Amino acid sequence: MMLLLAQVESQPFFRWDWVFRNLDDIWDRTVEHVMLTLIAVTVGFVISLGLSLVAIRWRRAYSPITWATGIMYTIPSLALFAFLLPITGLSVLTAEIGLVSYTLLILIRNIVAGVDGVPPDVLESATGMGYTARRRFLEIELPLALPVIIAGIRIASVTVIGLVTVTALIGFGGYGFFILRGLGLFYSSIGTTQIIVGTVLSVTLAVSVDLGLAATERALTPWARKKVPA
Amino acid sequence: MRKSRNRAIGATVLAIALLASACSSGGDSTDGPTIVIGSANFSEAALVAEIYAQALEADGISVERKLNTGSREIYAPALEAGELDLVPEYVGTALTFLGGTASGDTDATAEALAETWGANGIAVLDPAPAQDKNGIVVRADTAADLGLTKTSDLAAHNGTLVFGGPPECPEREFCLIGLTDVYGLQFAEFKPLDVGGPLTVAALEGDEIQVALLFTSDGVISAKGFVLLEDDLGLQPAENLVPAVRQEIIDAYGGAVERVLNAVSAKLTTDQLSLMNKQIGIDGLDPDTVASDWLEANGLK
Amino acid sequence: MIEFLGEVAAWFTDPANWTGINGIPNRMWEHIQMSAAATTAAALVAIPPAVYLAHHRRGGVLAVASVNVARAVPSFAIVAVFLPISIRLGLGLGFWPTFLALFFLAVPPIFTNSYTGVAGVDPALTEAARGMGMTDGQVLRRIEVPVASPLIIAALRVATVQVIATATLAALVAWGGLGRYIIDGFATQDSVEVFAGGLLVAALALATDAVFSIVERRITPRGTGTAADDVTRVAA
Repeated sequence: MMLLLAQVESQPFFRWDWVFRNLDDIWDRTVEHVMLTLIAVTVGFVISLGLSLVAIRWRRAYSPITWATGIMYTIPSLALFAFLLPITGLSVLTAEIGLVSYTLLILIRNIVAGVDGVPPDVLESATGMGYTARRRFLEIELPLALPVIIAGIRIASVTVIGLVTVTALIGFGGYGFFILRGLGLFYSSIGTTQIIVGTVLSVTLAVSVDLGLAATERALTPWARKKVPA
Repeated sequence: MRKSRNRAIGATVLAIALLASACSSGGDSTDGPTIVIGSANFSEAALVAEIYAQALEADGISVERKLNTGSREIYAPALEAGELDLVPEYVGTALTFLGGTASGDTDATAEALAETWGANGIAVLDPAPAQDKNGIVVRADTAADLGLTKTSDLAAHNGTLVFGGPPECPEREFCLIGLTDVYGLQFAEFKPLDVGGPLTVAALEGDEIQVALLFTSDGVISAKGFVLLEDDLGLQPAENLVPAVRQEIIDAYGGAVERVLNAVSAKLTTDQLSLMNKQIGIDGLDPDTVASDWLEANGLK
Repeated sequence: MIEFLGEVAAWFTDPANWTGINGIPNRMWEHIQMSAAATTAAALVAIPPAVYLAHHRRGGVLAVASVNVARAVPSFAIVAVFLPISIRLGLGLGFWPTFLALFFLAVPPIFTNSYTGVAGVDPALTEAARGMGMTDGQVLRRIEVPVASPLIIAALRVATVQVIATATLAALVAWGGLGRYIIDGFATQDSVEVFAGGLLVAALALATDAVFSIVERRITPRGTGTAADDVTRVAA
């Protein structure tokens, strides 16, 4: 730390003046980051829900589905964008295809695990009470599976928020835009300020979304709240 | 249970809708379409683009910035396709990129560029006096030890020195290709770093490379006490800064855009450009402020 | 598309791309070396405390929190942050910022998952062992670590793949590795080089994942049947 301060002399280490001057830019990038994340997680969830239904209905499909999504998950994001560039170009589609592919494994695993975790006697009682399979799934299984599913959405969201920064290399980036630009200016405090701003805002967004989803989970599953001991 | 769940979903949808509406779209100025300005991905290009942007805005023209677009392979096609409207260019390397032959003569090169690019609907306005050529740079101690003052002096040390520069250098006629063909140089290794930016400077300072490609208008050369080797065989062509703008934009504004940008170019000298580069790269001043101050000092804002 | 793939094939069969500093063998070797070094260093630093703490049933909150916090920090940011730090510490570019970033990236998942592995060992096993007269240290060495070893290997697998992925970004801080093809190819708009780089990185990541999976299965002590799949993973 002392070395850092010694180097910079007249300039303060963190340039608040840069921040205030660029609030518009920061807002634009916030919107970009949030939108990219929202689209990726939403589309990823819809696809995962579909694939999970297939896997629940036909158990033998689970293995190949997790194998395929596992491969997409293991392939580094930069490599994935590299594959997509010649096909879909420097577009939001490229970014989104890449981002969505990272959500699938996590979401599918959690949706299936959540549904599997519903106690069988609950299912039996529901059938006994006259629920059709479809109603039982939508009104009993899914709600009870909700905590595990939301846990998956939390992990997927935080992961995607981190990966959005990599899209800075294909013209987007959200907060990653500042990180990339700061890398090109790291001698001056303007550069290091941008790296810090990009990083701090990314982390803040990730933590907020994580906590927000946790709160949503609690709100949506009142039966899961612990009873106050007498 | 159902009610609270529906409420939660409703709230989320509302939030998304509010967020989506907060995305503002660029508006048009009263005189014509918004001009989208891009630039190459290094700070000098972004600075000149910012200068153009602020000058146009001062004249009441609406501008959208997409600076640091990428290397020429990215922004040139974008300009021709209409994704960008205006970029700052360097007459020599731009002409060569388009397949022409550049020379040390500013006017000839600029005219050739205007002709070549005009065929693709891109107008090239008046060149500024300011030039920024590729510069072959070594540290002061290296220059002293090896007796280097001119680029051709490096030939005596073929195979021993590491050269560092932008990743596209091996494909550029005025970079590695020219150094090999015209000067007969051979380096032990080429290290891809950045476009005359802090990575290249840091690598040179830390002796990870002995020879670097920097830019002649870069204040860092004198600030760090580096030695710029003379281009004795004249490899580098004229590299005056010039605005490249889509002809449609010129036509849409009936002369206003030309007037503003030519006025800017007339005042932009190499010394002033170097000074501004130093202010940004070394002193850490904000490029927007540096651009603004320069425009005000020159009565352009 | 077929034409493009043909060009990619041509890139791979071009002998120039197999020699020298920018050749595939060198870049691949750099990438493997760096990933192995960073993950090994992180393992040496993270596993012993994790095992110790889990054995004594302490620090559970730290284990959970560390991976949650770490997951929230984009790996791109970690790489970027270490560049100015490295320069100011006089460590230069290239190797050090990359190594430090990858090291700090790997520590949290290795720590947390090793902890979870040891803490998750069936208490019946440890109780039985103590009942048979084993000392604390013996329980740790002969029961907990072996039973947890598949999960620890899983932790290493996850961390190594993430390190391999993030190392591709290190081309931006003047390091080498397979990311060079992607970053340089992008700068020169050589989509063939970019694609080829992507293939090489993907191949390395998948191969590493597969090798670790085999090791995991081999060393799973018979009869424990622990699923190493529940380990939470983070991608770059």
